Amino acid sequence: MSLFNNPVARKRWQRFRESRRGYFSAWILLALTLCSFGAEMLANNRALVVIHNGEWHFPTYGDVLSGKDFGLDYSYEVNYRELKSQSAGSDGSWVLMPPIPFSPLETDLIAGDFPPHAPSLDSRHYLGTDTSGRDVAARLIYGFRTAITFSLLLLFFNYAVGVAIGCMMGFWGGAFDLVFQRIIEIWSNIPFLYVIMIVASVITPGFWTLLFIMAFFGWTSMTWYMRTATYKEVARDYVMAARALGASGPRIVFRHILPNSVSTLVTFVPFSVASGITSLTALDYLGFGLPPPVSSWGELLKQGTENLESLWLVGSVVVAMTVILMLVAYIGEAIRDAYDPRKFSFYE
Amino acid sequence: MTGYFVRRFLLIIPTFIGITLLVFAITRVVPGGPIERLMTQIQLGGETGALHRSQGGGTLSDEQLDELKRYYGFDKPMLSSYAIWLKKVVQFDLGLSTRYQDPVWQIIKERFPISIFYGLTTLILTYVVCIPLGLAKGMYHGSALDSWSSAVVFLGYALPSYVIGIALISLFAGYWDIFPLGGFISDNYDDLSTFGKAADIFHHSVLPLIAYLAGSFAVTTLMMKNSLMDNLSSDYMRTATAKGLSRGESVRGHALRNSLIPVATSFGNNISLLLGGSFLIETIFNIDGIGLLGYEAIIERDYPIVMGILVISSLLYLIGNILSDICVALVDPRIRFGGRGAA
Repeated sequence: MSLFNNPVARKRWQRFRESRRGYFSAWILLALTLCSFGAEMLANNRALVVIHNGEWHFPTYGDVLSGKDFGLDYSYEVNYRELKSQSAGSDGSWVLMPPIPFSPLETDLIAGDFPPHAPSLDSRHYLGTDTSGRDVAARLIYGFRTAITFSLLLLFFNYAVGVAIGCMMGFWGGAFDLVFQRIIEIWSNIPFLYVIMIVASVITPGFWTLLFIMAFFGWTSMTWYMRTATYKEVARDYVMAARALGASGPRIVFRHILPNSVSTLVTFVPFSVASGITSLTALDYLGFGLPPPVSSWGELLKQGTENLESLWLVGSVVVAMTVILMLVAYIGEAIRDAYDPRKFSFYE
Repeated sequence: MTGYFVRRFLLIIPTFIGITLLVFAITRVVPGGPIERLMTQIQLGGETGALHRSQGGGTLSDEQLDELKRYYGFDKPMLSSYAIWLKKVVQFDLGLSTRYQDPVWQIIKERFPISIFYGLTTLILTYVVCIPLGLAKGMYHGSALDSWSSAVVFLGYALPSYVIGIALISLFAGYWDIFPLGGFISDNYDDLSTFGKAADIFHHSVLPLIAYLAGSFAVTTLMMKNSLMDNLSSDYMRTATAKGLSRGESVRGHALRNSLIPVATSFGNNISLLLGGSFLIETIFNIDGIGLLGYEAIIERDYPIVMGILVISSLLYLIGNILSDICVALVDPRIRFGGRGAA
């Protein structure tokens, strides 16, 4: 607990709260992320609540309900949108659909028109559909969930490996340090998006494979920082005092060095999140990312650039990315100010 | 210090070998190499096209296969074929493209003018605009100019340049049809007058240039502003003010030079502009530069080109890093590389 409850950390938190823009951005981003984890209740072709003959159903997360369950003449899954329009007049039945009544993988073809369909309130495709008739708004929400989950997991792996190796390099020094310095130098000089493209072009990666490949090439930046920080801390008197008291190596690292050096890593987090989102989107855009039909922003962007007359495709992704990345950048700015308050002054 | 830089130059060699060996190994172990591509091509009756996964087997006889493997150097173990490849590279022979059967170096060389055009323009515009803008923002921190330009700069800082590129092309080329959809020159380029040629290149390059500039603008401007603000509150500026210099004079005479140091730390990397060109921006705008070449080489499994681009770009990058350090040592006499305490 001492990591968050010491006076320095509290002061930083105070300063973070004082920069209103960053503080509110953090809350908005948190809310958006939480919303996206409940995306099934925002954009889905299953209803939220169905009351049929006095019985309540919550189909969102439950089992598949067939048409027969609601007295319809088919045994495949109920089309809740039709059910809603049918039950509109009758008593005793009532259907509540999510705000966007389409699933991200569902093709909705409008008779007499070829997809992509333009946004319209009547068809309830608020942001239109993509080239296979899938709802853009639904895909945006699910795509955001994919991107932010991917980015956070990537951040976790990169930092875990980076902190571990960097700390060992700084703590042990010597040959271990030298060998890893060379390895990291090689690693960080590899044009990593290029290499990922080479790998991804042949194995058609899934979510976890892609995550692993990106973590494999992305762990180096944190290592460099942690190495320096550990070197600095090791040279300090309190570490020597701990040594003199007979503390073991692991104890010194985990009790003394890590709590003192890890907190500054927070300043890098927003940039890592942003770069995770942008590189995943870039890979998806180029066609080396997640396999279809996973909803992703990059795939929507690709469709958009191939169908420039359908401006809503590019438009919605660009707006969504702008909003998210600006929020992240504001948070990053606020965290940096909290850690390093620049008291600006000049002489006149 | 000379000794330090000589050591740095010598250290390029192991790093370079490490990078190329790793990528070479990747290109060898992943399936779908040139031989499998050829086999599927033969299976499909010569139909060209990048298949994402090609099946083994085929209509080639074993002797033909061996001959092909020998031709592409796939018949030897990885390390010895890497040694052969490296030996050729040292003799400035990057091999033949498996797609065009032309020397790789020649193919890459043809793309240099485009890279240099975009690289140089971006470089000059960045320095010409960002340094004065950063200075003005630093001197008049909190003014209307500062906050308005901050909003624009921040947008460029937060958004990756390819998103800006996509937004620009769909608005100005797709929707309003002001600028062409891509390419570097028009089809009728050769028939145009000299003025018409310049106008044509300009017309094609406005959108990609904005996309390229958006990112580098933001970084350089913010760097310039922050370093100037750090220097403005330093002791020597107080001395300058105390001896009676006006604000402008003290900035021009003292703070400006010191604030340029962080900008100089990346100056040497500008030699990479020879081979510059983001493959994202070039694919978006369909510019036939190095980036697009590398992207297509990956899709078509043209490994000699992939390796050739990697060789040149990593060499330029490694040398650029050292040049940057030399630049820093030149502009800042306080910095002594290779002395005590340097890692």
